[in-house]
Amino acid sequence: MFKNLHLKVGLFVIAVSVLALAFLAYVLHARGFFEQRMHLQLAAASAEGISPGMPLTFSGMSIGQVTSVTLNDAGGIVIKAEVSQSGARWLRVDSGFTLDKPLVGGAKIKVSTPDLSSPQLPDNATVLLLVTDPTQEIPALIERVKNILANVEHITRQDGELNSTLANAKTISTRMSGKYGVLEGVLGSEENARPVVNSLKNLEGLTAKLNEVSVRVDAMLVKTDRWLFAEDGMSEQSKQALAQVRAMLVDAQGSLKRVDELLKNAVDVSANVKDGTQDLARLRADIDDSVRKANDLLNDINRMWPFGGDADMKLP
Amino acid sequence: MEFLLNFVERTGAKAMGWWSTSYGVLAFLSEVLSTLARPATWNRATLDTIIKQIYFTAVQILHVYLIYVLAISWVIITITLSTARDVGLFDAATEMIIRVLLLELLPFLTALLIALRSGSAINTEVALMKVNNELDALSHCRVEPMQFEFLPRIIGGIASVIGLTVLGSVLTLILAYLSIYGLSTSGFAAFSNTISSVFSVGVLAGVAVKCVFFGLALTTLPMAAGLETPKKLFMVPVSVLRGMMRVFLALVLIEVVSLALEYI
Amino acid sequence: MPGDQAALVSPDLPLRANLSARENIALIPLYQRHYSAGEAARQAQALLEQLGFATIADKRDPDMSPSERFVAKLGRALILRRPRLVIERPGAMLYDIHYPAFLREIAARFEDTPANWEVFDFDWNRPLYD
Repeated sequence: MFKNLHLKVGLFVIAVSVLALAFLAYVLHARGFFEQRMHLQLAAASAEGISPGMPLTFSGMSIGQVTSVTLNDAGGIVIKAEVSQSGARWLRVDSGFTLDKPLVGGAKIKVSTPDLSSPQLPDNATVLLLVTDPTQEIPALIERVKNILANVEHITRQDGELNSTLANAKTISTRMSGKYGVLEGVLGSEENARPVVNSLKNLEGLTAKLNEVSVRVDAMLVKTDRWLFAEDGMSEQSKQALAQVRAMLVDAQGSLKRVDELLKNAVDVSANVKDGTQDLARLRADIDDSVRKANDLLNDINRMWPFGGDADMKLP
Repeated sequence: MEFLLNFVERTGAKAMGWWSTSYGVLAFLSEVLSTLARPATWNRATLDTIIKQIYFTAVQILHVYLIYVLAISWVIITITLSTARDVGLFDAATEMIIRVLLLELLPFLTALLIALRSGSAINTEVALMKVNNELDALSHCRVEPMQFEFLPRIIGGIASVIGLTVLGSVLTLILAYLSIYGLSTSGFAAFSNTISSVFSVGVLAGVAVKCVFFGLALTTLPMAAGLETPKKLFMVPVSVLRGMMRVFLALVLIEVVSLALEYI
Repeated sequence: MPGDQAALVSPDLPLRANLSARENIALIPLYQRHYSAGEAARQAQALLEQLGFATIADKRDPDMSPSERFVAKLGRALILRRPRLVIERPGAMLYDIHYPAFLREIAARFEDTPANWEVFDFDWNRPLYD
């Protein structure tokens, strides 16, 4: 019994020691203790958000980390980083170093190397660290979205330009679609007049659609607001989506401006029908195009940010 | 006035009680250290009793412990992974699992398990030795119970906390890897990366020191409580109750202090 | 310290409950004189044989009869090798036999040891020793 006991305890002690040593060796190996490390100095205007232990990543893989952040005698920032030997081969003289501070998750320094055939970065090299911060761009973005919505609202208001224009257009079309109406007279034949009348009908549809657009964009903005400022609400992916939406909103703003112009044209047209049918046909085509674009935008937004139904973020 | 006087008196009595308890524990600890430092302590007999204590404290419950670790780790890993997936923080899941389980939860739960099982047994045994006069008999024979009763239990307790934590941690790491990447070696580099970012040599040493303190607390506090038992049999349960309460407070205190040192 | 001169066999000084009779006796050579575990056990076993109770070597306190328990305590006191051996209130320990005769019988086995045996008993038990 006593021998058995010693055997068991011996097995236990040996197993624990072997596993502990193996784990220690594994951790040291994983930390690159057994391999040469390459040293880097990063020059930055400010050390804000940079701390020792922050990883350096290449294509999303960690290749090294910041070891120290200090001030030199001249008050400059000295950021020292270490890169594993295996990671060092991705560092070239034209590599870019960007401090990436996502809204959620730890900050990291992204290394991008556009040309892997350029010469290796030497040990102890000093490189420039660029800083991007999406949080600083958000207020400007929101401001722009607000402007766009104000424009849309302005256009579709009850007494707004679009409504009065449409009222005008209606009057004209009533007048012109008379049995021997002005239009028919201007255009020469009934067949020629039909597409113009149709395009004006489409204009009515456009008002409804633009109204819908404004309502949907409004709802979206409320959600975007909530979403953007929800704690821990955003991932890397949504950030990219945000950038795309920004681009699209700029696009939409352009489209809406064009609608604005076109509607001004429409006013001109209704006041001066004599200018001929060509303007009206172009107007119809342009309006159709704008409506399609606005719709596409909304579809895109909906596809990327599933706002419908269950759009609330689930937080842990 | 009377009430105020009573209050002050009660506070004073309580403070004195705390003082004498802490003094007893500290005196006991210093005796432990001086025994440790004496070369005569380190003979075959002491080693044998230490081995016996490791057997009773760790090896005997090894299978139970591993099942228990497996269950707890599995539940926590699964919850963490599914939550991380929902929130889109899957990248952080591995680090979260390692930090929560390996650095904090496993050492603490191991210490708690050993305290429940061996700490209470030690407390009862020492209290009974005291009440039955066995300690007086030993001191009459000029044999120090420290060397063959107390010290082996302390060393056995520390070794058991460390040993079981190491085994449980390895099991948890394997389980975590399998839960995240399945039966493939593809995630090994990423997994190693996360481990290397969590475990610096300092963190490893910190966990080891924490385990040593856990082991020390869950053996010395019950012994000190047993030693201060009055020589009345009905005081044994009271002594165990007090001792285990102190062990629990000490374990929580060690955990809180270690967290504070790590994150503040 | 005068207590150092006397080895006591007393109802107030019990055996270590979780150790066998041999281990209880071996504690003294093991931890006081730093013999190896094997040698200490051998000395204890030899003493138990001299006492005529070699069979109790592996028994623990709760499994022993009163006289066996007394013999184990006596062995522990003898191995201390102090000049005086004091047996205190033998009646409280040897309540199942005619103890004065039992004591004399055992003491006869240790005639040649230098220790001076003394028995402290209640005065009203004096007739038992006649």
